[in-house]
Amino acid sequence: MGEQVGQKPKRELPRSRVLVAEQTAKIYRDAFAAKARGEKVGWSTAIFPQEICETLDIPVLYPENNAASISAKHLGGELIEHAEGAMQYPSRICSYARLNMALADKIQDPAYSKADPLMPSPDFLLLANNSCTQLMKWYECLSRDLGIPIFFIDCLFNYYEEKPAKHKITYIRKQIEKYIWDMEAFSGKKFDWDKFLEVQKRSQINSKLFDEIIRLNMRTPAPMSGFDFFNYMSCLVLARGKESTTVIFEQLKKEVEEHIANNTTTFPSEEKYRVHWEGIACWPNLGHNLKTLKNYNVNAVINGYVTAWNVDYEPGDLDSMASAYASSSTNSLSTNTIMNMRADTIENYNCDGMLCHVNRSCKMMTFHIFVGRHIIEERTGVPCANFDGDQSDERIYSEAQFETRLQGLVEIMQHRKEANHG
Amino acid sequence: MFTLGIDIGSTACKAVILQDGARVEARAVVPLGTGTSGAGDVLQKVLAVKNRQIEDMERILVTGYGRFTFAGADSQKSELSCHARGVNFLFPSVRTIIDIGGQDIKAMRVNAKGFLENFVMNDKCAAGTGKFLDVMARIINVKVNDLGEIGLKATEEVNISNTCTVFAESEVISKLSAAVRIEDLVAGIHRSVAKRVASLAFRNGIVPEVAMSGGVALNKGVVALLEEEIKRNILVHEDCQLAGALGAAVLAYEELHK
Repeated sequence: MGEQVGQKPKRELPRSRVLVAEQTAKIYRDAFAAKARGEKVGWSTAIFPQEICETLDIPVLYPENNAASISAKHLGGELIEHAEGAMQYPSRICSYARLNMALADKIQDPAYSKADPLMPSPDFLLLANNSCTQLMKWYECLSRDLGIPIFFIDCLFNYYEEKPAKHKITYIRKQIEKYIWDMEAFSGKKFDWDKFLEVQKRSQINSKLFDEIIRLNMRTPAPMSGFDFFNYMSCLVLARGKESTTVIFEQLKKEVEEHIANNTTTFPSEEKYRVHWEGIACWPNLGHNLKTLKNYNVNAVINGYVTAWNVDYEPGDLDSMASAYASSSTNSLSTNTIMNMRADTIENYNCDGMLCHVNRSCKMMTFHIFVGRHIIEERTGVPCANFDGDQSDERIYSEAQFETRLQGLVEIMQHRKEANHG
Repeated sequence: MFTLGIDIGSTACKAVILQDGARVEARAVVPLGTGTSGAGDVLQKVLAVKNRQIEDMERILVTGYGRFTFAGADSQKSELSCHARGVNFLFPSVRTIIDIGGQDIKAMRVNAKGFLENFVMNDKCAAGTGKFLDVMARIINVKVNDLGEIGLKATEEVNISNTCTVFAESEVISKLSAAVRIEDLVAGIHRSVAKRVASLAFRNGIVPEVAMSGGVALNKGVVALLEEEIKRNILVHEDCQLAGALGAAVLAYEELHK
């Protein structure tokens, strides 16, 4: 079929994006195939030591990542309604939780096919509470409803220190060791410590590669629209220990370096302003966010969310791994630590402002902004603006509100640029 | 030289004609918001004050929720910048502006030239906005413009929730059925607005002097209680409701002289 008159031709996806789609599809396909063979399949929180199931070759899918994908396709509304209606969950809990618990209920009917991507029903759950305490209730509900076990790693928060204290590291390391033994017993598979070391090394290669790629956006103008990074996060969530992720990141790095060499960018308009995006993406409203940012020539060159998956540790050192899982999510850190990290990033990426997504679902992430905004303003001198939204619940977002606040932020940034240039 | 600023808000349209960027020649308010005939009506009304023609306007700048849809605009700006410039025109010493509009609350800090330095706005909730007062006035069966005077006659305040317009509405209905004095009820409503707005202003930081803009600034009851809450005097100009339109006219003039 030929191209329709008047329709804007779709931009061809870069090779790296094609590879991401292929990898994601394969991971989901493999999970369904394992389930069909009668093997165990897990669901896991996003920042869990995924290296262990990777070593044991047990398929694991990630509800948070899955909920984001479903929401970005505008398929989450019906599931959220099911959670709030038939399942009687309140609208005030996390929308990822509502969406996922509804999906877990719906997929018990083999004929159900509306959500995309679908996940096979899990046989076990992997839970680390390093990014959110509500995860514990969410997974407890799944465990009860489905009658399946939870493998839980309790991560103490680091409110009073920048790095996890020694006793916390020991506490988490011992839980990781126990989890390995428990998972051996549960799966009936022998844990291969040599393979584990290789998976750890691969995880580190991938984390560091992604970090290098993101840092390329420090350049002005940036070679990438910051929103593009959202498309690659799934590699670190779903497949941090896989070689296929290395192939994707090497391809992506090549593409970004080509943009730098050719002085081109994936940002779809002139980059007049650079901002730090704070908070999780508004997945159902990503299109409106990007279109409005483009119209005001604002590139959200960096955000703290995409860097949350860089779990940085020394392969072979379980203490180091425990420490990394205790502090990778900024939600496990103090406001002071997070806001100083953000201020560093704002300076390093030469940002003119900070645009904060007040995410109705993720109060932990959002409230740091309310109490820590002055740290950003005092340290960096850049203005901050907030807007309301949600990671999955479309009802929270207002297009007019987003545009007014972005425009207000742009007018401040514009005035400051003009004042600085005499 | 004349410039025209139009503020197409959610519940009212306002317009100001400015002469040479310095003198207000005409002003008009129409109590109809965006998506109605309000924008066209306010244009006709402001031009009629001194029998001007649209062609006499060197530049037209539009702000407010309807800023993208007004056909005759030369440019548009956010209501944040327009309120900042408008209040600066009225009160050059002001550094903090609190604007309560039909559906927005804004707390803004501005510099000596009236440029916006920072701002916070309410979340997606009508509590504390002009719409909140409209709803309450309707239930009590008084005119919204009369609320201010009524509230000042209170002898005690009835406690009203400030978290949600719908909850507050049912609360007010239950108080009415308990036969509380209307004046005391209105004062309680004003207190709930004042507390909500004060928390937003504190979050943005309050630097003296403080002024209010927007239609709710005309409500003396709200202003008095907000002064109590933020523990500072609040300047209110008689043209406070026109601050956005005035700022738009100032910015239109500046755009011509860039």
